[in-house]
Amino acid sequence: MPIILENISVFYSRNTPLEIAALKDVNLRIEKGEFVGILGEKGAGKSTLIKLFNGLLRPDSGRITVNGLDPSSKKVKSRVGMVFQQPADQLFCRTVYEEIAFGPLNFGYSRKETEERVFEALEAASLERSMLSRDPLSLSGGEMQRVALAGALALRPDYLVLDEPITGLDPAGKKEILETLKKIKGQGTTIITVTHNLKGFFPLLERIVLIKEGRISFQGSRKEYMETENVPLPPVASMMRELHSRGIQVNPAVFTVEEALKEILRVKSMIEKEKAEKERAEKQTKK
Amino acid sequence: MIRLENVSYCYPDGTPALTNINLTIRKGEYLGIIGRNGSGKSTLALHLNGLRRPQKGKVIVKGIDAGDFSKLQEVRKIVGIVFQNPETQFIGRTVEEDLAFGPENLCLPPAEIRKRVDRALAEIKLEKYRHHSPKSLSGGQGQCVALAGVLTMEPECLVFDEVTSMLDPDSGEAVLRRIKKLHEKGKTIVYTTHNLEELHVADRIIVMDRGRIVLEGEPEYVLSDPLLKDLGLTPPSLIELAEQLKNHGIEISWENTSSPSSFAEELCRLFLKT
Repeated sequence: MPIILENISVFYSRNTPLEIAALKDVNLRIEKGEFVGILGEKGAGKSTLIKLFNGLLRPDSGRITVNGLDPSSKKVKSRVGMVFQQPADQLFCRTVYEEIAFGPLNFGYSRKETEERVFEALEAASLERSMLSRDPLSLSGGEMQRVALAGALALRPDYLVLDEPITGLDPAGKKEILETLKKIKGQGTTIITVTHNLKGFFPLLERIVLIKEGRISFQGSRKEYMETENVPLPPVASMMRELHSRGIQVNPAVFTVEEALKEILRVKSMIEKEKAEKERAEKQTKK
Repeated sequence: MIRLENVSYCYPDGTPALTNINLTIRKGEYLGIIGRNGSGKSTLALHLNGLRRPQKGKVIVKGIDAGDFSKLQEVRKIVGIVFQNPETQFIGRTVEEDLAFGPENLCLPPAEIRKRVDRALAEIKLEKYRHHSPKSLSGGQGQCVALAGVLTMEPECLVFDEVTSMLDPDSGEAVLRRIKKLHEKGKTIVYTTHNLEELHVADRIIVMDRGRIVLEGEPEYVLSDPLLKDLGLTPPSLIELAEQLKNHGIEISWENTSSPSSFAEELCRLFLKT
């Protein structure tokens, strides 16, 4: 069952002079099993949107259902796992074990069942068992991010919702998290992530939702997104699009360095061949 | 402008964060600092206005010893820092008050404070949030307020510690453009980042690893150095593409690797010639 949002609006500081409409009339459908990226400028409403998915925030108008249920019901809360932008904000236990076990225990699972889930989540988040006794706040940024991830995974959620999961990590740390997410997605979990990091996430995204000033300005597959005008693209993709628009016959839907190199070399040899043929033709007519 | 002499610093648990750093930051220079998490970038940045004091060695800011507690006020007027997480540096109840905090501390006349606050608000395009609490803003908006908070102080040297990591690409670029303008006006800029694409504009880049400076030079050479990958850093994708094209006899000039459109333009010219 999907997540369905119908005519959702959310206001902050409602009925005060400081009222701000964070989301306006949003309609959205997220199917199970997708890897969804939520993009948009600062203050567009991205983080507001994802907080609706497990009932952390209630819409001021409109309707949202997750698996056909109201997201504030307890049943939904264990189906939708959240990982926030600053992992330190959601780590509060003394050891990594307690941290990951917190969710399952809270939902009333037995000690034994909880332990099983902790080990399973630990592995899914690519963490070592030796880490279980450590203080979560003494870990590096990337490790903390993975502990927060494991905490969410311990409930075996259908949906994993992330807010900028690779912000502030160095390239190696980013790559680790991306690999981990890819693995989790492969096991059937739907992943919804807010991100600015197009370079890192773009290859993983199957579906893209672009928010502009509280409204959805684009939703569709990555392919459709790449064919849309005026959307943020990773550097290589935007270079290829520019080349294409200047009349060079490269495939504009390419976004990795390797693919771009291949395309440019292909077109280069094509142009050279054409030119050589033209010269030959000219010579012959002269003769 | 700022000179670090044999600076060493260990974390409380004994892990060395900086080992014997020697570095001179020239007046008006745009210095980029890169390195992976834990390489010592931020610790180095914190030394530049006395937020950290070297355990060994000296940091001299315009002739003043930044390790001297009684000179701290003077040093901080010269060097301002913007951090990665804006929430850690909010003080005011409203955005406006937050921006006024710095200039108020400098004991500027109210009219001047008003002028600086309005100008900073216009620059970050958050005028409509002037009476909101800074904590009610989104991550990216908050970062812009933190940036504006330092701008109102008008220090000679600005240190930016991974300031764009929480911003969307458009806001990030806006911040970078703003920093570039400050640099053109003669400000000294120190900029730490993981995102190597942002350092095209720098005059000089230093690469840090395990508390030491391991590579130093102009961006043209540093950003295409194969050592970066060994250090766990990803070179900018357009520079990587340019390097690979070079192996196939297609040469894109350094200046044109800075943006997708100039890259495409040069490639286009090369294609039309062949």
